[in-house]
Amino acid sequence: MATRPVIGQRLKEYEEQEVERILGACTRCGKCYEVCPMAQYSKAPAVDSQAVVGAVHAVLRGEPGTAEALGWIGVCTRSGVCVPACPENVDPKMMMRLARMTALGGRGQPAQLPVKEDPDYFDRVRAFAKLQLTEDELKEWT
Amino acid sequence: MSTSANVRAAQPVTFWYGCNVLRHGDIIHSCLDILRALGYEPAPVGGVDYCCGTVKDANQTAAAGMATRTVGKLNARSAPVVVWCPSCHSHMHEFMGRTNERHFNMSYLVELLHAKRAQLAPLLVHQVPMKVFLHQHVGFNDLVPVNRMVPELLSLIPGVQVLEATYTAPGYMCASFAAIPKALEDINNNTLTAARAAGADAVVTVFHQCYRELVGLDAAGAIAVYNYIQLIARAMGLPYEDEYKAWKRAGEGAGELIGAERIAKVGIQFYERAILPELKKRPKLRDSGRGT
Repeated sequence: MATRPVIGQRLKEYEEQEVERILGACTRCGKCYEVCPMAQYSKAPAVDSQAVVGAVHAVLRGEPGTAEALGWIGVCTRSGVCVPACPENVDPKMMMRLARMTALGGRGQPAQLPVKEDPDYFDRVRAFAKLQLTEDELKEWT
Repeated sequence: MSTSANVRAAQPVTFWYGCNVLRHGDIIHSCLDILRALGYEPAPVGGVDYCCGTVKDANQTAAAGMATRTVGKLNARSAPVVVWCPSCHSHMHEFMGRTNERHFNMSYLVELLHAKRAQLAPLLVHQVPMKVFLHQHVGFNDLVPVNRMVPELLSLIPGVQVLEATYTAPGYMCASFAAIPKALEDINNNTLTAARAAGADAVVTVFHQCYRELVGLDAAGAIAVYNYIQLIARAMGLPYEDEYKAWKRAGEGAGELIGAERIAKVGIQFYERAILPELKKRPKLRDSGRGT
């Protein structure tokens, strides 16, 4: 009998491969932090751009991050300005997304950032659908 | 040759609109009419059952399950997919499509409209006299060059004058700044300042997630705000009313516009707890915020 695939296994493997690739390719030059338009909004802006990237690497490995790294991870909104700035084509946007998932506890490691999920998020989507669509549209479109 | 033989059959497409655009029924309905006018037969799908899972960064098992379910449902429709939501489009490129077998071609609506602009232009017959300032972000533009394409689409509308966009916001859309209030405050104020300095009559957004936030500027009396699809729809003479803007302007009084029957569908307690606060929310403006 065929075994059923474990939910999330392919995503987990893909994310692990990406983490490994990023940790192997990134030279911690700090360019991604220097060009980031969101760094100014961090609760703990970093002075040393190379150190903060190194601490993001620690988060990716499941180790505790510094306040500076967690502050930066917490304000990343996927501007992507870091991508062309990276001299090693690491894709720092992906690095920060994976670091965010990790820091929120989404990849199985202990959470280092508070998870602020809106408990009404999906119910609000359903409610607006009821306010904006007809019964037939609700049935056929959602 | 018969006339009917010259009529090309409409091309079936799945119009994957996303989740939060359900606040804006006029945008969804307008997109469908625009696609039909361009020779497509769009089947709209969206809402929670078609969520891409991008909001589940804190739970990758849930994100994976949602992505696999949604890719499977889109595969089952056996039609090319046209995407409205930039978050869904990005997530498909970055995660969903890399960890699931995707059996459909996918394009972003702006790309499709831009590619079909020669067909779209003759449909834009109504004057929309307006000087517009595009609200743009640095992100997403690498995946689809919306900051170039949307102004080019707006320029097709008779009467519309697209002003130079002298401000580019960080991030890729406004809704992701909800947890960073200082940044969202800056975006609102910088957009307003730049639009006024340019002499704009209105700010125009690319994404619904920005429209939802910036329409607060309209509700506050600071400047008119539209989504680009609303201006294309107006130029085509499409009849859909922007109810969300009317509710937002009404604030506390939105319930009277929505009506007791519709509010009963979502429950009065839920409406008061989870919907009304959003409709009452106004941006924090550094000057009086009123139009000059």
